[in-house]
Amino acid sequence: MLDGLVLFGRSIASFADPLTLGLIAIASLAGIVIGALPGLTATMGVALTTTLTLKMPPGTALLVLVCVYVGAIYGGSRSAILLNIPGTPANAAACLDGYVLAQKGLAGRAIGISTTGSVMGTLIGMFFLAIATPALGEVALKFGAYEFFWLALFGVIISGNLTGDDPLKGWLTGFLGLFIAQVGQDGIHAYERFSLGNRDLAGGFQLIPALVGAFGFAEVLSVLAERMARPNIREFGSHLPRLGDVLKYWRTIIRSGIIGTFIGVVPGVGEDVASWSSYAAARRVSKERALFGKGSVEGLMAAETGDNACVPGAMIPVLALAVPGSAPAAVLMAAMIIHGVQPGPLIMVQNPQFVYDIVAMMLFATLGIFIFGIALVRPLLKVLQIPREIIMPIVFVLCVIGSYAISQRLFDVWTMLGFGVIGFVLRRYAYPMAPFVLGIVLGDILDKNLRRGLVLSDGDLTPFLTRPISALLFAICAVSILMNFAAVRRAASRAWSMATSWRRAA
Amino acid sequence: MTGEVAPWGKPSPRSDLVWSLVWIAVGAAIFYGGFAMDRLDRQHINPYTAPGLVPALLGAAIALMGVILLLRSVRAGGLSAGSPTAAGQTNFPRLFLALALCLAYAAGLVGRGLPFWLATFLFVFVAILAFQWSERRARSEVGKGIVVAALCAAGTAAGVTLVFQELFLVRLP
Repeated sequence: MLDGLVLFGRSIASFADPLTLGLIAIASLAGIVIGALPGLTATMGVALTTTLTLKMPPGTALLVLVCVYVGAIYGGSRSAILLNIPGTPANAAACLDGYVLAQKGLAGRAIGISTTGSVMGTLIGMFFLAIATPALGEVALKFGAYEFFWLALFGVIISGNLTGDDPLKGWLTGFLGLFIAQVGQDGIHAYERFSLGNRDLAGGFQLIPALVGAFGFAEVLSVLAERMARPNIREFGSHLPRLGDVLKYWRTIIRSGIIGTFIGVVPGVGEDVASWSSYAAARRVSKERALFGKGSVEGLMAAETGDNACVPGAMIPVLALAVPGSAPAAVLMAAMIIHGVQPGPLIMVQNPQFVYDIVAMMLFATLGIFIFGIALVRPLLKVLQIPREIIMPIVFVLCVIGSYAISQRLFDVWTMLGFGVIGFVLRRYAYPMAPFVLGIVLGDILDKNLRRGLVLSDGDLTPFLTRPISALLFAICAVSILMNFAAVRRAASRAWSMATSWRRAA
Repeated sequence: MTGEVAPWGKPSPRSDLVWSLVWIAVGAAIFYGGFAMDRLDRQHINPYTAPGLVPALLGAAIALMGVILLLRSVRAGGLSAGSPTAAGQTNFPRLFLALALCLAYAAGLVGRGLPFWLATFLFVFVAILAFQWSERRARSEVGKGIVVAALCAAGTAAGVTLVFQELFLVRLP
């Protein structure tokens, strides 16, 4: 514990120079603006910013990316409150009460609540990030090929189950992502798979251009294809966060923070599920239940605490297992690898300082959103009034040059275009993109570890099902799939009622 | 997860039916590709490390899920008459314009001999003007629209070129 505090203090000291603080300010502000503009998601923001940080030292680059990530998730509440359009999908739950408050002339109050919730959420998540990552890293050291295989599959299945409305479609995109990761030289024999004799394809698809396409170009197409409203808010009220809100809703804040962090830890689920789950939990136990959806301060607080707590939560599996907890975290993980930092179980052994660096980065990002969230309310309203028809062509230019800049080859631009069109079409038909991204990230882990496991067991599948962690992950995957079948659900419910009636009779 | 909610509601069973056929075809093609892949027998590798093993399994899983989607969409009435529709409404003229401009810029102009700054200027100028055209014309602000588009295009072209070429030392396409 004391060692952790020393490392954390060292991390804070390493970032406390004027140049770095300036970068934190710029990146936090950029994140808030990206999040506030509907159509620019956190994933897209982190992916595009990654291309701007290629020449920076690793620590500085990741600091910038963390600030953009935290800023974007917070910034998305602005358009949710002022326009009733979530700036990022993570802020959809904030629309329910935030927009109603704004309509009542309390936009400033809603912004203050969202600032309080976001700051508290990130701080709670940060606490768990510092505590849980070393512990999970310790457990992960016991993982072998069998466990990593199930972990990869678990990520795609859980992500498919919990994101979007239709698990089957989530799994389809997840498995498509796993396949995309198989294109190019395989990780064991360097054999070219599905390259069709093309030299560029033999190297496989790079993650950043694929994500810039799936989240950036697809979003540019979606936004340009529709007209959008501009905010028309005149009455604001005070936007300063109130200590009274923290004292009054401390239970809601802690509960939402814990829920958000836990959902962040689950691979590939992410901020929008965290926000809705925190909102639903707050509504279930609230004394002001009737106010939810009609301008409830508690509802907005729960939603905004939950989604921001998810950000540090999503970093826990990235650092301990090299499995991202959300789509922006997947991009952040790719950025770490580009910058020569290999996350995973060995990080606590080889580079424990890095984990506390990330915690310190979260702290600085939280300071950034707190200061800019309070100071720049009206300038941000002006930003929201910039027409999308002006912003989106500029964003597309950044998508093109950002994809190109990583390896300076046009193939990456075509990758971005291809994945953008595929992403746009799939989303139009209600196929979620999160499992797809997770599939691309986890495809290599799944491939190598399935084959390694089979070699170790000489083709025997038993160790995949009998080792304790493998068995647990397998059971969760199987239950997640089976519970989507109505017949299985009915049988489970019958079995449950029989068990409870026996217990009562006994 | 971020970027997840389909903002347009639910697509029709008919479209799910069409998609299920696409998934079955894609899954079958991947399965065949994996199954027919060289097993590197001549190199005497362990057969469980054959490079086509995982793609073949993934292809089979995708095809199986496609079959489940097919059965589900048939039960939901996907075989009855009606064209496949996406979730919600699409403004097709705007969508095709966006697609055409973006593809023309990224695949047609960039890296084809035209300086990057000029290609970027042309794209941003035309895109802003085209998407704001009807609104500007209705308000008799076409001249202002041209000036705004030109300023934004010049700023973007200059800014992106300077940042990436001079600061990040990227050789622009």
